[in-house]
Amino acid sequence: MKGLAPLFLGIFGTFAFSWVGLTVIPNWQIGHLNPQSDEEGTDIYPMPQSGMVTRGARVYAANGCNYCHSQQVRAEYSGADIERKWGDRRSAPRDYIFERPALLGKMRMGQDLANIGARAPKEEESPSPAGGPSSAPQAAAASPGTVASAKAASPPPATSPSPATAPATSPGAIASKPSTSPAPAGPPPSKSPAAAAAAAGSPAASPSPSALWPEQTAGLPPMYSAAWHHVHLYSPRSINLDSNMPSYRFLYETRRISDARSSDALQLIGSDAPPEGWEIVPTYDAKCLVAYMMALNQSHPLKDVRSPGASAASSPAASPSPAPGGQPAK
Amino acid sequence: MNATGIPLKEPAISAAAGDTEQFERALIDASTRVPVLIFYTSAVAWLILGTLLAGFVSFKLHTPDLLSDISFLTWGRVRPVHMNVMVYGWASMAGMGTAIWLMARLCRTVLRYPLLLVAGAGFWNLGVFLGVCGILLGDSTGYQWLEFPSYAAIILFVAYTLVASWAVLMFRFRRGEQIYITQWYLLAAFLWFPWLYAAGQLMLFVVPVQGVLQAAVGWWYANNLLFLWFGAIGLGTAYYMIPKVIGRPVYSYHLATIGFWSYALFSSWTGMQRLVDGPFPAWMVTASIAATILTLIPVATVGLNHHMTMQGYFPLMRYSPTLRFTVFGAMSYTVFSLVGVLISLRSVARYVNFTQASIAYSHLGLYAFFTMVIFGSMYYIVPRLIGREWRYGSLIKLHFWASAYGIGLMTLMLLAGGLTQGTGMENPSLAFSESVESVLPYLRGRSLSGILLTVSHFIFAYHFGLMLFGLGRKSTVPTFLNPVETEGAEVAH
Repeated sequence: MKGLAPLFLGIFGTFAFSWVGLTVIPNWQIGHLNPQSDEEGTDIYPMPQSGMVTRGARVYAANGCNYCHSQQVRAEYSGADIERKWGDRRSAPRDYIFERPALLGKMRMGQDLANIGARAPKEEESPSPAGGPSSAPQAAAASPGTVASAKAASPPPATSPSPATAPATSPGAIASKPSTSPAPAGPPPSKSPAAAAAAAGSPAASPSPSALWPEQTAGLPPMYSAAWHHVHLYSPRSINLDSNMPSYRFLYETRRISDARSSDALQLIGSDAPPEGWEIVPTYDAKCLVAYMMALNQSHPLKDVRSPGASAASSPAASPSPAPGGQPAK
Repeated sequence: MNATGIPLKEPAISAAAGDTEQFERALIDASTRVPVLIFYTSAVAWLILGTLLAGFVSFKLHTPDLLSDISFLTWGRVRPVHMNVMVYGWASMAGMGTAIWLMARLCRTVLRYPLLLVAGAGFWNLGVFLGVCGILLGDSTGYQWLEFPSYAAIILFVAYTLVASWAVLMFRFRRGEQIYITQWYLLAAFLWFPWLYAAGQLMLFVVPVQGVLQAAVGWWYANNLLFLWFGAIGLGTAYYMIPKVIGRPVYSYHLATIGFWSYALFSSWTGMQRLVDGPFPAWMVTASIAATILTLIPVATVGLNHHMTMQGYFPLMRYSPTLRFTVFGAMSYTVFSLVGVLISLRSVARYVNFTQASIAYSHLGLYAFFTMVIFGSMYYIVPRLIGREWRYGSLIKLHFWASAYGIGLMTLMLLAGGLTQGTGMENPSLAFSESVESVLPYLRGRSLSGILLTVSHFIFAYHFGLMLFGLGRKSTVPTFLNPVETEGAEVAH
């Protein structure tokens, strides 16, 4: 090659082409999205996040959660994410406009967490897991906030596993024995609230969720509640024997109970339980991390995305109804 | 067309004992001695640290309770430390060491302003060290290969500016009209890196872009770092070492030109294929998939060029350590690109997108291609800096085979494991945890390959240490892998 000018120009030109093409133009195209709202200017989604959630995102990144957990739901035609009920619609750029950092992830050694907050039991349900939702299947269909109700509202999945295979393929759960503590003596006491609601809502169409979800472990807080997350972070294998997740005990402190047991103290069972007179409480970082996870919720319908769950809902009025699934942690 | 005007006439001339040129080269080599050895020594130290961390990370992935109660030893912190130590500590420093030496040789001038480089190496080490501490203490940013917190990133950038300004200065002092192929790649790498690094830092941390674009910029950065920084240095080095060792000009200058420009154009547009089916405009992903397929053009031209240069000289790989490592690396570049094309196709990506297969891809690029080429160049350069030859041919052989089998096993394990994991994940009638369990045997196999690589790196570090302390052989004949029969010796020399 003769001459320096063509070499330098070429080196700069090719890179400038890539830089403009793959970062500047996309930024111009989708870099300035606003939250959506309905005609009256209410029902704004997404909403800016609280300070605890923002701090929780940093704890999440600092401890590398994103190396095993993605936060993106692929469309139904390009993956089984929706069938796995990691979300009831695909993720869209607008879902992430307040995320900083946006931790989309590239690996699924653990579940996708884009909607982990939406799976939490609703606050009023948590005291009586079996009773609330199962008594009113219609109500469940009208509020697609929880997993169970979203499931009930959506059409039967294309490849619903047969009930025969379902029980065999759930090695994750430790305990299917009748639960003892928080669940009152409801009709099927061993099931999780989600399972109970789904079974009650559409008994014929829905596959047994136990094939897809780990089951509620006896003696532990309701699945995907804030208290459950703390137990799971502290001791993943007390909830799922086969879990591959490291425990994050350094986010918790063990301390002597001064006068009364703290309301934050972890409800641990078995060998994880602290000795008598001691309790294990989350640090502030752990609380922020759980607040962040509880805020991960893309269940709200987006105009950008055709939502299979919402469009198939029984009445049009039901679909845009807000889904208060992502309630704050505490 | 066979290029006749290559400025690399050294093999022919040295055979004819061109005393002045040989003397000049010795002077140039002597002038590069201190800076290049500083870069190499730091790189080898980081390599050993990174290797130990890699083994730790690999074992923790299938034994999650191993030392998990200590915050700075949790998997999610040690893994980014391993990656960054390898990327910025080992690969970048070793690559810069080789690039500095090549620049001085190819500009045919003694190394000027060595203090710039010494300061650059010092700051670079400081930056990596601070970054490592930052991640371990919980300051990681969470973007792949950009995990270093800002205080470390700034120091790295300062260090880099020193090195790059040295490269540009050297280029101004060069002698001779021709600019050899290697210099195109090196100059391009030195100019691309600061732009890339600055753009990544600015768009993610200083004036952050919105939402998903952060992920897009992050992957654009990581992929371009792999191609435009490591890839360019690796290819440039291979273009020097292969003709040099066999004493024969590059087969075709024209092919090299096509290869270089198509590489610059297409590989810089890859990156978004890693985000396939994510919440992005489809055109971004499609453009990158197309660009990934088009990188087959540079792969074909570069591969053909090297192959035709080597034609008839392949048996020399029996003797020359440099040639064996470099050719292995150059061949791995082809494999790396083919795997890259394969896993970027939408129909395949559906299964391997969120699995270990993408880790196999990174290791193919960074280790099987780049690191092996750099090992080869170090086997060539270090004796010329120290004036001693490598002490044991058997250790080099052991290093090569442990590395080759190690990376081969790792790639196979991760690709097969990724495919298994992905098919399980795409089958919603299987519990998700089964897809994770199905990959664990492969991860144990990967840990085994990690042991092989650890052995290989310790052998290399020991051998390098011997050289550094002046314990190499005093000889005028390079160390060969196998005893050279008389007819082989003339060519391989």
